[in-house]
Amino acid sequence: MKRLASLFAFTMVSLVAMGQVASADTLEKIKSAGTIRIAIDLSVPPWSFKDENLNPTGSEVEAAKLLAADLGARMEIVATNGANRIPFLLSNRADVIMSALSITDERKKLIAFSLPYAGATTYVAAPKSMDIKTFVDLSGKRIAVTRGTTNDADLTAAAPRDAQIIRFEDEATTMTAVVSNQVDLVAQVPTLIDLINKKSPDKHLEPKLPLRTALMGVGLRKEDTELKQWVDGWVKTNVVNGKLQEIFKKFQGTDLPKEVAAASQ
Amino acid sequence: MTYQFDFGAVLAYWPLLLEGIWTTLRLTFFSTVFGILIGAFCAVIRTGGSSWARAVISLYVEFIRNTPLLVQAYFLIFGIASLGIRLPILVGATIALTVNIGAYTTEIVRAGIESIHRGQLEAATCLGLSRTQTYLHVVIRPALERVYPALSSQYVLLMLASSIVSSVGVEELFGMSNRIQSETFRNFEIFVVLGIIYLLLAMLVRTGFTLLGLAMFPRRRKLGTSL
Repeated sequence: MKRLASLFAFTMVSLVAMGQVASADTLEKIKSAGTIRIAIDLSVPPWSFKDENLNPTGSEVEAAKLLAADLGARMEIVATNGANRIPFLLSNRADVIMSALSITDERKKLIAFSLPYAGATTYVAAPKSMDIKTFVDLSGKRIAVTRGTTNDADLTAAAPRDAQIIRFEDEATTMTAVVSNQVDLVAQVPTLIDLINKKSPDKHLEPKLPLRTALMGVGLRKEDTELKQWVDGWVKTNVVNGKLQEIFKKFQGTDLPKEVAAASQ
Repeated sequence: MTYQFDFGAVLAYWPLLLEGIWTTLRLTFFSTVFGILIGAFCAVIRTGGSSWARAVISLYVEFIRNTPLLVQAYFLIFGIASLGIRLPILVGATIALTVNIGAYTTEIVRAGIESIHRGQLEAATCLGLSRTQTYLHVVIRPALERVYPALSSQYVLLMLASSIVSSVGVEELFGMSNRIQSETFRNFEIFVVLGIIYLLLAMLVRTGFTLLGLAMFPRRRKLGTSL
């Protein structure tokens, strides 16, 4: 067991070291090779997925295309999954990550992030006709949420005492509760709210109150400071000229969270 | 073995645990009362009713006893809501448990009724007791007394099974514990505490049934013998 652990540690260290050697000057290398390798998980619509013709698309893919074009390089998608996005970057199989990667303190220990270029907000959603403007309006209402999620914690903290929070075991049951008319309000991510609307169009659910916003940045190796500088500049330019907002709106159906633009000010 | 136990973190949530215990007890109480009434009523019909009434009862009993409680709860809470009838979740869960335990009670009480000797009924007729009197004093009460141990086990089981309805959104003891667990990440401690609480609750329910039995069946209290 101990040997296995040390072998694992050795592999990780050498992977990181290899990354460091190979990426001595990633920006220069990208420019001379004319190709940028971008790690993207292609299984998370509407962020990044394959369309009916199996072409990669989604807000992340479009943003990545824009980044590559502005860099004057060809984009090469390195397909990953959620768990190995960061290992792919560290082992130099990709130059950057653009895969709905939330900026967290844990991840900052391993990699660097550009300024945020996208974000996701969780909401309390309610039928369109219901008049809900602040958390006070939730008083006396029944709200479905999945037990033990960040949504549960945020909602429990924000809702008034007499709001009735009904906790279900998993997201599937929470959605069943809403679709079956058992509960009208729900705290969830916008993609699941959209899914409910698609499955039962008569619901007219609408995100009403934001609960929490996760900001997403381009993931970079810590030593690629020049590349980070360039990407930061790219994010600023395209937040100011509105191109990133446009891409986000096209795929997500909602506006880019305003915290994203605020970070570039 | 480097796990650091921290029961304090879990016990700090005692108001939530208390609320959960209260909900579990309420669920158990209402489904016990109505379950026994439904069970006794259905058992009488199943042993002495008209043939179509018997068929209806046996359909109910067989359907409930051969489908999972969770499915029945989903049906009452989400299924019926889709048709536009929205039961409050606690009410839906109580009905699910009542309907479920009613079917099991029917079978247990039926066994009790069938154990009453024909001679007893004939004696009742000779004494000129009416049909209702015969049922109340000669059939049901001795029948219940005979199957009382089996009944009380079934109702302790009901109290334990009520944890199932936590997955349809009832914040009873088990649901509350899951919530505490997701906030403290102290899952080992919470399930130890939970086990102890359920054990105590089961003893409480059993004691309740013993006392109720002494009140209901005077011959046991006075003679100390069983039938």
